[in-house]
Parts: sequence; structure tokens; C-alpha cells
Amino acid sequence: MTRVNLALLVLIACVASLPLFGGAYALRIGTIACMYAILALSWNVVGGFAGYPSFATAAFFGFGAYATAILLDKGVPLSVAVIGSLVICFLLAATLGIVLLRLRGHYFAIASLSLVEVFRELVNNATDLTGGGMGLNIPLASGSGILADATFFFYAMWGLLLTTAVVVMIVSGSKLGFGLNCIRQNETASNMVGLNSTLYKSVAFGLSACFVGAAGGIYAAWVHYIDPSDVFDILYSVKPIVMALMGGLGSPLGVVCGAFLYLGLEEVVWRNYIQIHSGVLGLLIIMLLLFLPHGLISLRAGMFWRKAKHV
Amino acid sequence: MLAAQVLINALVLGCLYACIAIGFSLVWGVLNVINLIHGSFIVLGAYLAFGVYQWLGVSPWYALAIAAPLFFAFGYLLQRLLLNRVISAPVLVTLTLTFGLDLILNNAMIYYFKADYRKLTLSPPTGSISLFDVVVPVDRLIATVSALALTGLLYLLLRRSKVGRAIVAVRLDRDAAVLMGVDVKSIYAIAFGLGAALAGCAGVLMALIFPISPLTSSVYLGKAFVVCVLGGLGSVSGALAGGLLLALVEGIGSTLIGPAHATTLSFVLLIIFLVVRPQGLLGRKGFE
Amino acid sequence: MVQSRLASFARVSIPLLLAVAGGGICASAASADDVIRFGAPLPITGPLAPEAVKQQQGYDLWAEQANKAGGIAIGGKKYKVEIVYADYQSNTPRAVQTTEQMITQDNVNFLFGAFGSGAAKAASTISEKYKVPTLAATASSSQVYDQGYKYLFGTFTPNDTLTTPLTRIIKAKAPDVKQIAILARNDLFPLAIAQEMEKSAKANGIEVTYFEKYAINTLDHSASLSQIKSLAPQWIFVTGYINDLLLIRKQMVDQQMKAAVVTMIAGPAYQEFIDAAGQSAENISSAAWWHPAEQYAGKDIFGQTSNFVKLFRAKYNSDPDYGQASAALCGALFQLAIERAGSLDRDKVRDELAKMDVVTFFGPVKFGANGQINSLEPPVFQIQNAKPVVLFPDAIKQGEFKLGVN
Repeated sequence: MTRVNLALLVLIACVASLPLFGGAYALRIGTIACMYAILALSWNVVGGFAGYPSFATAAFFGFGAYATAILLDKGVPLSVAVIGSLVICFLLAATLGIVLLRLRGHYFAIASLSLVEVFRELVNNATDLTGGGMGLNIPLASGSGILADATFFFYAMWGLLLTTAVVVMIVSGSKLGFGLNCIRQNETASNMVGLNSTLYKSVAFGLSACFVGAAGGIYAAWVHYIDPSDVFDILYSVKPIVMALMGGLGSPLGVVCGAFLYLGLEEVVWRNYIQIHSGVLGLLIIMLLLFLPHGLISLRAGMFWRKAKHV
Repeated sequence: MLAAQVLINALVLGCLYACIAIGFSLVWGVLNVINLIHGSFIVLGAYLAFGVYQWLGVSPWYALAIAAPLFFAFGYLLQRLLLNRVISAPVLVTLTLTFGLDLILNNAMIYYFKADYRKLTLSPPTGSISLFDVVVPVDRLIATVSALALTGLLYLLLRRSKVGRAIVAVRLDRDAAVLMGVDVKSIYAIAFGLGAALAGCAGVLMALIFPISPLTSSVYLGKAFVVCVLGGLGSVSGALAGGLLLALVEGIGSTLIGPAHATTLSFVLLIIFLVVRPQGLLGRKGFE
Repeated sequence: MVQSRLASFARVSIPLLLAVAGGGICASAASADDVIRFGAPLPITGPLAPEAVKQQQGYDLWAEQANKAGGIAIGGKKYKVEIVYADYQSNTPRAVQTTEQMITQDNVNFLFGAFGSGAAKAASTISEKYKVPTLAATASSSQVYDQGYKYLFGTFTPNDTLTTPLTRIIKAKAPDVKQIAILARNDLFPLAIAQEMEKSAKANGIEVTYFEKYAINTLDHSASLSQIKSLAPQWIFVTGYINDLLLIRKQMVDQQMKAAVVTMIAGPAYQEFIDAAGQSAENISSAAWWHPAEQYAGKDIFGQTSNFVKLFRAKYNSDPDYGQASAALCGALFQLAIERAGSLDRDKVRDELAKMDVVTFFGPVKFGANGQINSLEPPVFQIQNAKPVVLFPDAIKQGEFKLGVN
């Protein structure tokens, strides 16, 4: 258990104390924060560890949301539905990964981007199953109070965040993580040394999708109504990348910090710069990329920390 | 006859698609940068045409002459001052940077022009011509011809002029070009400027046919992507081939399985091409 | 080590605290006694921004009139009306977040629904949880009201109230119409109303030869239009929002398509549609939830329909359409309900809304068990000589249906 990983666990533990600080609205923000942290952490597995710039996060987020919603509609209990989405997303991503991960660089980025479009249109057109453009309804769990409901979903998302973080930490210290590292540095050489890069990459892609799918599922249960253009929004792919870049690519702690910082900034900007909020976001991205290309974590590169992992 | 109509529609649309994609393809091929601002450039060009027509009463064809140098300068400066800093950075960084720039440009357009849809209606309206049961709207036809002229102009520029040949050289082999005395930094900026100018001109042509709104920028970008991958990067003929293929697939697909599936089909085709033939139909090294 | 833990803690708590504190700062002065606050989450930026403008016009007109009369009267005391606006960026998850923020941070007493069926439906979960009465001005699809909520009410009648009278008129005036082609935008309201049209057509013996959906950002419809043209139905029915309909109409003209009847929902009701489409708008039929030509003697603050139209014209220099009228209606209904309840208690106001049965400038208002209005007869109209001419209901009929669209 390295210092960095310990710090990450401590951070997540601190977040758990949020209900002590605020009411239902603060819990809403906290839930969203945990959700994005999950997305960013998951993306980091394929983008930071393996070095494959995936834009497919939104595809699996939406897929998981719809999978859970449909299962809930059929009467399956929430935890089973979420775990179901997790498994389905893992298998789906691993399978698609075998095909898509043969591409590199730009081409992989575009292919993963198109995945979002394809999934969205597939859902849009399967009107009988998913409601198509009319969206899908998840019935309100009767009678629970607002605060109880908000707390429940906050802890559900938080629990998933903890699970994701633990898994990512295990991966980063394991043979899989080492293998991904090798792949990122030089895939051809790794292949020559006997590393089964296809297997490793597919597993990484699967891991990057399963928790995202589960987060999508919890999200769907939380908001009670989803439609394709909401959950298959390309921003669910882009924001985790910006968060990871902000915090420090490759480092789980950095990525989570980046996520929280980004969301805090977004809240402030949304409240104060209503008309130009996306412009301000764009400006932020540019400044980040020009002046802090290795993320926040590189700010502290020095005596106590390992240098940020390179892209 | 329906089949003939669908075919003609596709041919006309295909040339328009090619026009949208050509600037994008140039930048991608030469600089290896996926320029996500491309869609917004197109929309900006459309607004220029609209504004020029609305307030100065000037025909959109003159807007082409205004758009080209303006956008070229904009693109040149953007590349020289900003993008050049990250030109050797990995894919992710350039993609995210252009995404950020696009957010700013798009937001600025929504702020200043509002998200309403504008329409450039030529008066008197140009109508449509009809041959053997096949109808072609005149404004599309004119836009198509202009689009083809633009791409032809680009082709000539790249083959005949010194700058053009330098661009092709950089595309073929950057290091060898340096050895030959080509100022790569300046070529990058020129190529990006060219890409922007082409996008602006494409926008002017689009204004004649489609509604204008900042919200359509992602649609144009999406088409440009698909056309580039299908047809092959960095090649005029590739953009044409890709455009025609895309339009045909969409048209025939729409007719056979319904318009709802047309977009899905184009992206599935994109993925198939990426996996099976990433260089596209006509892709090859060297820009011609 | 301690340093790092402190740093990590600071890194997470500072933005969170910032956000919470920011929320606190932005929360306005708590319940000034003489003010009733109405929350209006609107898509002020993003694709739906033009619609938000209309809604805002309606709400503001009502607030102005109410305050001119001194305010809303409760137990002898007058309360001023204040409308709190917030932007949810045309993004449904944000609409949900904005609704919650308005309830918990801005301390609004009552809510106006978000724009359109999708966002209204999503946000209604929040208002239901907090038990805040919400009036949705623009949610017509019955799917919005199918969650069994008690605190949501809507002032647009269900979609089939538009399609049924339309079909009846066509059947009566154009008996040669045997086939219909339906092209729908793949979005909650346009798709829902297209499905209603399909049902209505089948129930009346009209064959549906074509039913397809187009994706939300479609720019080119030539493929589907060519196909419809080759099938040559007598009736073409298109749904979408104003920009889609203008585009489709133009491309229909480009393809030289002709039909006996062309119906488009929901754009022709707006003056902007008629202006932009010009000659090609001639003889297009449509239906909407309200029309300025209606003549109701309302018991609300506006009274006569003509009075509402007059006040609107005076303030905004243009004629109101159903969007602004519905928004103003929601304000007026809240006023009636609060005055009848004699208090600001949310449950009492909710009950008054539920048993409301009154004539307003918009028409007779009575809500069904699911919260959606079921007392209106939406007008069917046709654009003739660049003006919308009402064909139904008979009480306000202005002209006869004309066949043939070029």
C-alpha cells in the first residue's frame, strides 16, 4: 500500500462525511462528484495506464443507465440491476475491445467516439424496449423521505467509488497494471517480449467500462427519467478526460482530486457566469493544457512524490 | 423514379459533404491534428454569408471572397500562436485543446448570435429543375458546383504552387522536408489557415441550403469525420470519394431501412472502415 | 505524511465547501413576509433558448399584472409576486438539479414546470418529493403525467385532443384522403403526437403508408421526402419543432412535392413560421392549444381573452401564441388557487388546484386525476393568406378548410 494509494483512501473516507456538512442539495452535488470521480478513475485505466485515449465513457454510461432502467422496470431489485449492468458492460467492452483496440492513437479515439453515437442511435430506435426519443421512466420508490433518499443514493455512489478505487489500486500494483504500463510505453516491444497485449487491453477496456456502467445505473435510478440524448451525452466522455488531465494522468489520486476540483469550479462558474459557462470551461481546458500539462499532481513533484506518469 | 431521385440526391449531397470535409482532411493529413473547431468554423462562415447578405445586400458569392482571407488569417494565427505549442504532444492533448477552443467559439456564437435558426433565403427564390421525373433544387446545384470548384482550386494550389508542393512534402515526410529547406513551422500554420479558409467557404455554401445555428456545428463535424475516414486522409479525391460514399449509404439506407437508422449506419460504417481499411478508400501517403 | 493527508483533505473539502458556501451566498434573503416566490427553471441558453423567451414573456406579464393590482390577496393582506429564474442550459439533468436548488436554496413557494415534456417529467420527481405544487405550462404528452404524482399539473391537453378533431375535419372536408405519411422527430413530444396521429388515422380508416422517425439534428431530409413523394399519399403529417418544420417544408418545395393536405405540428402556430416560410406556408394545417381569436370570459386576473391579447400587445409589441398564453395562465391559476386556499400552505394550494373548475382567458380549466388539464378543446387551424384561420371549435370558427398544398 503506497503512500499515494493511502492518501486516496483517506480522501474517499473524508468524502463520506459529507452528510454531516450539508442537506439534500449538498448531497446532490456530492453524489455527482462521486459519479464523476468514478468515471475519471475508470477512464484512467485505459487512458492513463494503457495509453489508449478512449472517448467511449459516455457509451457505457448510457448503456449501463438503460440496462439498469430496463431491469428495474421488470421488477429486479436495484442492487441486482446495478451489478447486472456492471457485468454486461464489462463483457460488452471486453468483446468490442478486441476489435477496437487494434487501432491506435487518433483512430482509436474516433472509433470510441463513434461508439457513443452508435449506442445512442440504437437506443433511440429501439422504441419498444427503451421508449426511444420519449425516454424511460423508473418508478419512484414510494414513501421514502427526501433526505433519506438523497443519503441512500449518495452512499450508493460513494460505495461504488470506493470499490472502483480499490480495484484500480489493485490493478495498478498487479501484473495487469505492469503489463498496461509496458503497452503504453512501447506496444510492439511488449508484444515481442511475449505479453498478450490483446488480452490485457481488452481487460483494461472492460474494467474502464464496468464501473462506468454501474454508475450509469445508479444515476438512472436516482433521477427516475432518462432519455438518450441525456445519458449518451459526449460530455460524459470529455469531462473525465479533462479531470484526469487536470489531476495528473495515470495517477488515481490525481485523477480523483482533478474530478473534485473540476466540479467545484464548474459549480462556481455555473452560478456566476450563466451565459458564458461553456466558454469559461473551454478557457480552463486551454490554460490547463498549456501551462499544466501533467496535471496538479506534478505541482508536488519533488521530495515526497513520485513524478507523474507520462502520457 | 425513386431510385434515380435517391441517386441524384446522394450525388449532390456527396459533393457538399466533400466540401465540408476537405479542410478537415487537410489539417489532419498534414499536421496530424484533429481539428474539432472545424464545425464551428463552418457555422461562422455561414453567419458571415448571412450577415453580408442581410445587411450589405451583397450576394453570397462575394462572401466567399471575403471569407477565404479572413478565415485563413484566423486559422494561421491560431495555429502559430496556440496550437504550435502542443503540436508534438500526444493525441489526447491536441484533441482536448481543440475541444476547448471549440467550446469557446461555440459559446461566443451562441452568446452573440443567439441559438435561433437563421435562414438565408435568396430572393427571388431559385426554385428547382426537373428532368425526367428527377427534381434537383437549383440552390443545391449551384452550391455543389461551387464546392467542386473549390476543391478543384485546392487541387491546383497543391500541385502547381510552391507553397502547395511544400505542404505535400511535409505530409509525405516531415524530416526530409526540413532537410530540403522547408520551413515546417510556417507550413503547418499555412496548412491550418488553408483548412480554416476552406471551412469558412464551405460554411458560406452551406448557408444557401441549410439553416444556420451554432447548434449545427457538431453535425458538420460528425460528417467531416466520417468522410475523412471513409475516403482517406489528406487527399482531395479521397474527400470526394468519402463524401459520395457517405451520401449514398445514407440515401440508400434511409430508403431501405428508414431515416432514423441512417446516422447509425454511417457511424457503424465508420467503425468498420477503421478496423478493416483505416486508410480509407483512396488514402495514400502524400496529398494530391 | 501528515502534510499529504492535510493536503488531500484540503483538496477535496475546499471545492465542496466552496460549492456549498456559494449556494448559501446565492440563496437570497429568506422569506420576506410580503412576497410569494415562484421558481421558473428555463432553458435560457442552449437549443431551447427561443422557447424560454416565450415562457418568460408569459410569466412576466402575469407577474406585472398581479403586482399592479397590489399583489395576491390572502386573508386581507396583499402579497407581491416574485419570479425566480434559473438557467438549466436545455439539459435535462440540469433541469432536475435547478429544480432542487430552487426549492432548497432559493426557498421558492411554488414552481413552474421546466420547458417541454421531457424536462418537465424529469424535474417533476423533485417537486413531488418535496411536495411543491408545480404547474407545467408546456407539457402535453400524457406520458409526463403517468407517474402518479399528486403535485404536478399541466395546462396543455393530451396529444390526442389535437389529432382527433383534425382527423375528423379532414375526413369530413376531404373524403378522398385515403393515405397518410407520417414523419416524426425522435423526441418526446413530436414522437408521442405522431403516434397519436397514427392511432387516429387507423381508427378512421386512413391507411398509414409511411411512418418514420428522424434523428434530432437531421439537416437533410431529402431521402425520406423522396420516398414519401414516390408513395404519393394524400395527407402528409410532419412533427418537430419550428426549425425542423421550416427545413422540411423548404425541402418539400425543392422536391416539388404536392399533396391535398399537409399538417405540421408544432410550428405553424408561431408567427415566425409564417414569416420564414412565406408562400410555402399556404394551406398548411395545424393544431395548437390556444389561439388569440378565442373568446372566453375568464374569472382570472386577465378576464376576457381579448384583454389578455391587448395587454400582451401593449407590453411586447407582438401577438401572443399558445406558449406565452399558457405560461401566463399558470401564473393566473396559481393566483386563483392561493386566493381560494386563503393561505400559502402548499398542500392547501395543491388541493385547490386539484378541484379547480373555472373559466379563464385560456379556456375552461379543470384537471384530470393525473393532473393534466382535460377541459379544453384545442383549436385546429390552417394558414390561409399568411394568417392562421381557425377551423374548430365551431364557437370561434373563422373559415373553411381549403384543400391542396403545393
